[in-house]
Amino acid sequence: MTSPAVRMSGSRRAHGRGSEAKRYGSHLFAHIVLVLGGFAMALPFLWQIIMSLSSNAEVTSVPPTFFPRELRFDNYLAVFDVMPFFSQLGVSIWITVIRVVVQIILCTFAGYAFARMRFRGRGLMLALVLAILMVPSQVYLLSQYQIVQNLGLLDTVAGIVAPGLFSAFGTFLMRQFFLGLPVELEEAARLDGANPFQIFWKIMLPLTGPAVSALAILVVLFSWNELLWPLVVSTRSDAAPLSVGLAALAGVPTVNYPVLMAASVLTMAPILILFIILQRRVIEGLAFTGIK
Amino acid sequence: MMNRISPHARLRRRGWLTGIAALGLAGLLAGCAGGGSPAEPSGDGYTPPAKDFAAEITYGVWDQTQVDAINANIEGFNKEYPNIKVNVNVTPWGDYWTKLQTQGSSSTLPDIFWMNGPNFQLYASNGMFEPITSIVDGGYIKPADYPKALIDLYTLDGVSYGVPKDFDTIAVWYNKALFAKAGVEVPKAGWTWDDIQTKAKAISTALSGDGIYGIAAATDGQSGYYDTILQAGGDVISADGKKTGYGTPEAAAGIQFWTDLITSGASPNIQQLSDTPALTWFTSGKAAMFQGGSWQRNAMVQSDIKDDVQVVELPKGERQATVIHGVANVVSAKSANKQAAQALQVYLASKAAQEQQGEMGAVIPAFNGTQQAFVDSIPQYDLQVFLDAIAYSFPYPVSKNTSAWAGLEAEILLPAFNGDVSVDKANAELATKVQAALDAE
Amino acid sequence: MTLSLRTVRTPVVSTPDRRRSAGPARTDGWWPWAFVAPLFLGVCVFYLWPILQTVYFSFTKFGVFGGQTWIGAANWARLVQDPDFYRAILNTLIYSAIVLLGIPVAVFLASLINRPGLRFASLYRVLFFLPYIAMPVAISLVWRMMFNGDFGIINYALSLVGIDGPHWLSTPGLALISVSLVGFWGSFGLAILILGAGLKNIPVELYEAAELDGATPWRRFRSVTVPLLSPSVFFVTIITIIGSFQLFDALYAMLGPNNPVMPATQSLVFYFYENGFIRNDKGFAAAIALAILVIIGIVTVIQFRLQKRWVNYD
Repeated sequence: MTSPAVRMSGSRRAHGRGSEAKRYGSHLFAHIVLVLGGFAMALPFLWQIIMSLSSNAEVTSVPPTFFPRELRFDNYLAVFDVMPFFSQLGVSIWITVIRVVVQIILCTFAGYAFARMRFRGRGLMLALVLAILMVPSQVYLLSQYQIVQNLGLLDTVAGIVAPGLFSAFGTFLMRQFFLGLPVELEEAARLDGANPFQIFWKIMLPLTGPAVSALAILVVLFSWNELLWPLVVSTRSDAAPLSVGLAALAGVPTVNYPVLMAASVLTMAPILILFIILQRRVIEGLAFTGIK
Repeated sequence: MMNRISPHARLRRRGWLTGIAALGLAGLLAGCAGGGSPAEPSGDGYTPPAKDFAAEITYGVWDQTQVDAINANIEGFNKEYPNIKVNVNVTPWGDYWTKLQTQGSSSTLPDIFWMNGPNFQLYASNGMFEPITSIVDGGYIKPADYPKALIDLYTLDGVSYGVPKDFDTIAVWYNKALFAKAGVEVPKAGWTWDDIQTKAKAISTALSGDGIYGIAAATDGQSGYYDTILQAGGDVISADGKKTGYGTPEAAAGIQFWTDLITSGASPNIQQLSDTPALTWFTSGKAAMFQGGSWQRNAMVQSDIKDDVQVVELPKGERQATVIHGVANVVSAKSANKQAAQALQVYLASKAAQEQQGEMGAVIPAFNGTQQAFVDSIPQYDLQVFLDAIAYSFPYPVSKNTSAWAGLEAEILLPAFNGDVSVDKANAELATKVQAALDAE
Repeated sequence: MTLSLRTVRTPVVSTPDRRRSAGPARTDGWWPWAFVAPLFLGVCVFYLWPILQTVYFSFTKFGVFGGQTWIGAANWARLVQDPDFYRAILNTLIYSAIVLLGIPVAVFLASLINRPGLRFASLYRVLFFLPYIAMPVAISLVWRMMFNGDFGIINYALSLVGIDGPHWLSTPGLALISVSLVGFWGSFGLAILILGAGLKNIPVELYEAAELDGATPWRRFRSVTVPLLSPSVFFVTIITIIGSFQLFDALYAMLGPNNPVMPATQSLVFYFYENGFIRNDKGFAAAIALAILVIIGIVTVIQFRLQKRWVNYD
């Protein structure tokens, strides 16, 4: 089995260009389908932006107003009055960065141990870790809340990130990755008298790029978008991340739609921009997760 | 804005936030206080602390927009008691009750905090509040200075626990421009149920081409069926909280009021109101009337139709009636600084503090005679109607465990409003189920 | 919190066991413990202990201001007799089924996007991936506007072809379909990427051989693509089902808890939320949570059993 890293590099893309047209016929049909489908994918985002620049009357007009009479950018300014946007943005960024860094460290170490080290109870521990993947996150909420409260971490960034630092999924991902690496590398080092930590640090860690970037991307998406848990542990609105801020705003009956739409654009914008900048890496990284 | 409680429409809607957190909360705490018998009026009566009394207390509130007014109040308080430090702790509405329940479970309630009607009896019957009996006996607060309905709202088994801070009542907001466009005369004080039905129907008919309705029906209790049931001469829950008024012909009439508006086409139906809230129908110029509360004045004045809006008292049924609700300041029975907290409770209830609240605008202060500032806050609207409504107001209906039956109302009534279920059937079903919930308290 | 299950994956499939080849018995001493301990302790505290506690909660009744009373199996007895529970299971299955319909579509789209030499392929990938990165709460609010019965653009589009659109989100039956359509819409991004990676791993020689044998494009798709892609399809199916069983955010944000159709539309997780948070019956909610766990477990086991019939790992 080749390593995922090697596979990803697309070494199989051996299709001869010459026979393409013959083998696949015209690409016209593919383009038509994909353009229509892509438009359907993008439509809600476009409509969201249009609504965010409309007046309340235009949002509820019949027929719909596709081109607002004037573009109301002040809807975006109004967002800053109705939610503590910047402090929530800060919280979102903080929790995301902390989770990415800590998860990568913990999951890489544990994943490596589960894949390549021998110790009593390994099977049992791995089974326990994997079992929690199956459990809906709601199951944990009551107890996790109590734990975080007992630790005195309510309303703190530490409280929001705590459970999310320990990821069964990330551990599993890294374990699968290490399983795919050839053993010969380690054996040579072991013969040279390296201890397990040195082997891990010097030989294996430098190879983890694709897996680590896939993990990082997933953690970023998960952390930014997560709602339920931060909602539970942050009782002060300026100590909550953006997802909670937006949900709270949506629950205010008097907030007008364009402002709500503007808030939802602003809330998603950082992650969308990051995605557009890093799209190639993101897509390759995520495709990696699908390879066993 | 969100300071007002309570249509449970709103209760439930924001319940997402609230509820979610509620999760973790209550009950989890080890030890768990609470669950006890109602507070014994504590032996030691209230006496004002010495001027140099030193303490630090926490004041729990939920409305960020009122913090300026609260701080102004505290400044005044600190002129009297310079060494009592007050920390204002703002928890957004969505999480306030969840957090409070947790704190109640762990005996860590704020020393003094805001309370609303639907939650009051639950906390009071679990001994969470310090009664105001000795404060009243000492003459530091006179209940007669506040609307009686509000004093009653915060009284359980003859013992009062809360001092009213502010209040709100219900009226009908209307859009002058749409009335003119439909050629219908705008409503005037003294109008009746027949008038509102006729006008709403006439506007819907005249403007149906534009997708405009005469009224966007209120589908919640506080600004909807509670008022009309009272207007029909009925009640929702008896004053002692033991018996439901559902099942009576008066309740049927109060429900029928909304069913008529919807089935005649005067109002959007339940599906439409569920897709687009009534307030939005009104503020986007798609409905000519909206029965709502004093707390909605900011939404009105910030809307695109602000210059067309006016407000008029509720139409009269068998009698004139509105629900009144207000927030109260309560002191925790377990407060370590009870004397200081009570001193603040007394100060916040004073005429000076209440006037200041009114001038700073966010609320209608509860102290009789301090409300002029509210009326003047948006001179183009006839906000006086909300004050005049006190004269015919009834307390917000509550019982020991309000949420146990309040959730049933929407579930059973909405199909009846839509005409999918007969009003009599819904009324009978509510009578049985609400009574069962009350009996279980 | 685990990663949201839409990203969760897989089956430990056919991974060759390399440990055996690691030479004669060697010991790593205490190193493995040092590597695993930080993670495992966290997992114990934040995940394993809560599961045990939830089991205990499911046999208790919570007091308003704290305290639990042991009530034996009463919550469980109530659960199995509650018609809402079965309704919620059915709704969840309907939702899952509709979202699963996206998988064949994703296979089709992935095969189009991965045609060699197709221009703008990466643009298409980005477009189809957009829904995956969108914040569920935010995008559900947009869909709610689009589905609005009076002002929404969906009904406007229908009106152009002479159809008087319904009130999607407040009509029983249609509400669930609407939410499912949004789930369907959001299901392509990751699936296309994973399937695309699977497609790239199919040796081109197989296609060439099939072509030499005179196989039609459809025949090549059936005989080469489908079997060789089956492990990826299986993986996508598993994550889709587990994700579907967690349906909550979209339902909440699109319909709102106060929607009259909610009782007829609620998913299992919403049913859990309704009882635990709105009705504040946390002991009963704990029983529901465990029931969800058991149901997901059963469905996953069934899938692993069935995979032998159609998934090809060679």
